[in-house]
Amino acid sequence: MIKTEHLSHAYGVGTPFETAAIEDVNIHIEKGDYVGIIGHTGSGKSTLISHFNAILKPTSGRILIDGRDLWDADKKTRIQTRFDVGLVFQYPEYQLFEETVYKDIAFGPKNMGLSAAEIEKRVEKAIHFVGLKPSVLEKSPFDLSGGQKRRVAIAGVMALQPKVLILDEPAAGLDPRGRDEILSRIRDYHKETKSTVLLVSHSMEDISRNANSILVMNKGRCAMHASVPEVFEHADELVQMGLDVPKITRVFISLQEKGYPVSRNVYTVEQGKAELMRLLQKGGDQNA
Amino acid sequence: MLKDITIGQYFPGKSFMHRLDPRMKLLLTVLYVVSLFLVPDFWGFLVIGAVIALVVASSGVSLKVVFRGLKPLMFIIIFTAFFNILYGGGEPLFPNISWLAWIKTEGVRNALFMIIRIILLIMGTSYLTYTTSPVMLTDAMERIFRPLKVLHFPVHELAMMMTIALRFIPTLIDETDKIINAQKARGADFETGNIIRRAKALIPILIPLLISAFRRAEELADAMECRCYQGGEGRTRYKVYSFSWRDWAALGIMLLAMATIILFMIF
Repeated sequence: MIKTEHLSHAYGVGTPFETAAIEDVNIHIEKGDYVGIIGHTGSGKSTLISHFNAILKPTSGRILIDGRDLWDADKKTRIQTRFDVGLVFQYPEYQLFEETVYKDIAFGPKNMGLSAAEIEKRVEKAIHFVGLKPSVLEKSPFDLSGGQKRRVAIAGVMALQPKVLILDEPAAGLDPRGRDEILSRIRDYHKETKSTVLLVSHSMEDISRNANSILVMNKGRCAMHASVPEVFEHADELVQMGLDVPKITRVFISLQEKGYPVSRNVYTVEQGKAELMRLLQKGGDQNA
Repeated sequence: MLKDITIGQYFPGKSFMHRLDPRMKLLLTVLYVVSLFLVPDFWGFLVIGAVIALVVASSGVSLKVVFRGLKPLMFIIIFTAFFNILYGGGEPLFPNISWLAWIKTEGVRNALFMIIRIILLIMGTSYLTYTTSPVMLTDAMERIFRPLKVLHFPVHELAMMMTIALRFIPTLIDETDKIINAQKARGADFETGNIIRRAKALIPILIPLLISAFRRAEELADAMECRCYQGGEGRTRYKVYSFSWRDWAALGIMLLAMATIILFMIF
């Protein structure tokens, strides 16, 4: 689906402030995957994802979407890519501008040149995906709460019905309930539409609960790209990169180090509960 | 893309020029500009050239940076040169080529004179901003214009407004970039169509930008009030400026250069 070959990007080329943001990134993202992207602040996560819908042009290297080179194509195809690869930036609520929520969500589909009937269908679908009531559609987006604004902005990208949905920290700055709500909405969207989802997050818990595979960025390079258990197995390396494993995984690693016969491969509270139950069960059997 | 603007940029450093008192630098710049306009002939430029050479050498900011800054002003420079040549008198420079008869010696001399003057003017003032942070610059202006307070001129308020405005230019540029990208991601097109279409395409950028500017202004006002800001009355300073040997040495050199130029004028 998305493939990069020796992708590099530098900011401020030709000035004293030139810095390489990403260097020689070679990744392949499968269709229908849910990829978590983690990395320390300044590791190049945001720069990387801005390449996938042709917002940034690589300094060198190639990006292939469905096997087509993004920058070999003419401008029209490139604009079309923006509808195929939907990108939700950090704090997307700051991009709202229309008089009503409906008009704001319809902005993207309108740019696609769709018919009024199709736009209406898409707006209704998008508002359903983010879990807002249809009654907000006629309100001004500036009268909504912070969490609601965030959802309207995400709906604005979902209404493009992209094949790939990329979200840069969609839960940043929300309370725990808002976080869970938004992430579970994105999970449902992934399941229902069978689209590819890329989620940038600082929370290992959010990643382990949602993603199938993880892409680890470190100092502008792709340090790891593997399934969730394979990545979290390298706990020490992750800590060295200023990252971490989920808290529950840390608990089980300590338990194992203390001599309890538990697995280290526990990434969610549910898995932890199952593992403990298994252990208790076994212990009970031994006592009997 | 918007980040490429370098006018009035400041390059942090610890050089001789950086450590000069900003009030002195402002005064020196004024003296420099006055001297530049007093220069009667090409020999005078040598003196100014020597001064600017000292400034460049003692600033740690390379000449390359200045020349990059000159590029956008190339049009003005060429325009000035062209009109000086057009209205200049004297003998034709190329007596044998008829279609170049309008180029006369006096005109070329004037044009060269103006070009050198403009370039030296830009260089001198550029090095002021390269080595002085905007905050220090407005601070210095507030100090210099303080006597106007007697006439109820709001010196402090104006300086504060300038400081805040300068402080928020990079922030707003950053924000504009972000909003442009976000709307592009939704397929907004800013580059095609006629003027009306393009103007309309700016609405999705301008409205979020205005809203965020107001939000920032409100947050800043709150933050200032939380720290008991009440205007300039009775406000003390964290940084108290004082002249050192460097400032007097720099002033001495500048006055010497000015005196030499005045001598050039007389003889």
